[in-house]
Amino acid sequence: MQSETRVQPDPAQADTYSFLPVWRNLVLQLIVLTSVLLLIVLAGEFIQPRFDPRIERALSFALAALPLLLWLYVSVLPESRVARPRRRLFGVAVVSALTASAIGLPLVQEFFRVQDWLPLQSVFSRILGYTFTAGFVDAGLKFIVLRYLIYPQGLRVRGDVIAYAFAGALGYSVFLNFAVVWQLEPNWNIAAIYLLSNVTVQLASSMFIALGIIESYFSDAHPLVLPINVLVAALSTGLITGLVGGFLSGPLSTAGNADRPLFAFALLGASLVLALGIVYFLYSNSERREREAYVSRWNLDGI
Amino acid sequence: MEFETGRTPAIQITPRQRWSIAITYFLLVAGFALGVNQRESTLNLASDYSNLEAGISAKYPARWLLEETGSFIFRVRDMAHRGFNTVIEVSAAPVGRDTSERNIFDLLTLRRSQVLTDYAVLGYDNYLLADDTLAVSMSYSFVARDSSPFLEGVSSIVNGLDILTIRRGQALVVSFRADADIYQRELETLRWFIQHLEF
Repeated sequence: MQSETRVQPDPAQADTYSFLPVWRNLVLQLIVLTSVLLLIVLAGEFIQPRFDPRIERALSFALAALPLLLWLYVSVLPESRVARPRRRLFGVAVVSALTASAIGLPLVQEFFRVQDWLPLQSVFSRILGYTFTAGFVDAGLKFIVLRYLIYPQGLRVRGDVIAYAFAGALGYSVFLNFAVVWQLEPNWNIAAIYLLSNVTVQLASSMFIALGIIESYFSDAHPLVLPINVLVAALSTGLITGLVGGFLSGPLSTAGNADRPLFAFALLGASLVLALGIVYFLYSNSERREREAYVSRWNLDGI
Repeated sequence: MEFETGRTPAIQITPRQRWSIAITYFLLVAGFALGVNQRESTLNLASDYSNLEAGISAKYPARWLLEETGSFIFRVRDMAHRGFNTVIEVSAAPVGRDTSERNIFDLLTLRRSQVLTDYAVLGYDNYLLADDTLAVSMSYSFVARDSSPFLEGVSSIVNGLDILTIRRGQALVVSFRADADIYQRELETLRWFIQHLEF
């Protein structure tokens, strides 16, 4: 029978490996992605370029694939150049996309049928509704993928959890991106908002799940820390999804109601910055605490 | 290229982490159950309708829009659905003794074929009502387009089902129409509606 005691690394025998910086790559991809999408939204608002419907559709599909291409270029390819690469990044992304396709989207659209009853509810009901339906389904599936593919066997440093959670969010959201472009056939500037919305919702949710795994695994935190983080992940999905629809739709008037993509873009951008900011702050704090504990222990041993 | 450094990780998970994972699974199941409960309570929430003059009472989904002005007694529509809104319409007309169900269906077909695009009758059948009496049904389809020719959009194929019963010299027609893509799913709503319809 295996011992259940966690093996603490011995500072004297600690190996030092090289890992790709995860936060810098993540932020770089998000800056490029949001910049491209912002340009498209601005073009749609102020220049209003007209294309053949087939070209618009092709552009929308290209946009749907953009986060994946960026991630492959910035995060996956450079892994082959480091001593200890994160080997399961691609696997996590693919399995996440498959779970979104086989379980996530059918559950939310066909079983919960959120599109039939949630959009007309009050803001508070929408937030709660999306939290308990799409929020828990998405967070649950992404957590299960991480649990069985990388937790704990694929984790070496805190950055691994962030990198794998990002891969999961990306795989999940890319499938949703293709589904939304395929099903709704939106104009390409509106497609840009849908895509940013999917990426923001999934990324925010995954980052909170990652934070829970980090605290639980690397700091051996209280057993409630991980579930609370998963709950926050579901709530973040509810909050962003519940609010973005209201921001995107303009007020009713005699001329109908026009979309307001810039409002929605601002909300999504703010949500992305806020979620990443909170997770990064807590991540750094956790890392700092461990470093201080390590140094103080080393000093005690050394003296 | 810059690198981060790290140390050998722990390999096994502790009892505390096992608890943490177990509680997380429990939370996910509980959250899912709450979602199902919320869905059931909202999707199955019903409103009452009664019209003493026509002698009709019914229940309809609370989130659907009720209308009483038009060439019908009342109709309810699912306004949340994108594209063609699923509709259940109840109308009545006095009929003579010799009037058969087929006469009424033919009249409906004549009228609709003039206003609906590609209107086509798909078949006739019997339909068992909640009080175990047998009504007659006619299924049909047509192509629905946006009412404004200036709105850009793709036409959708709509399936319809008329359920007709003649009582006390009155022909009561329940017309159900839904986008062909969701027609089978929406039939459940019609069955539920018919079960609660009294006239």
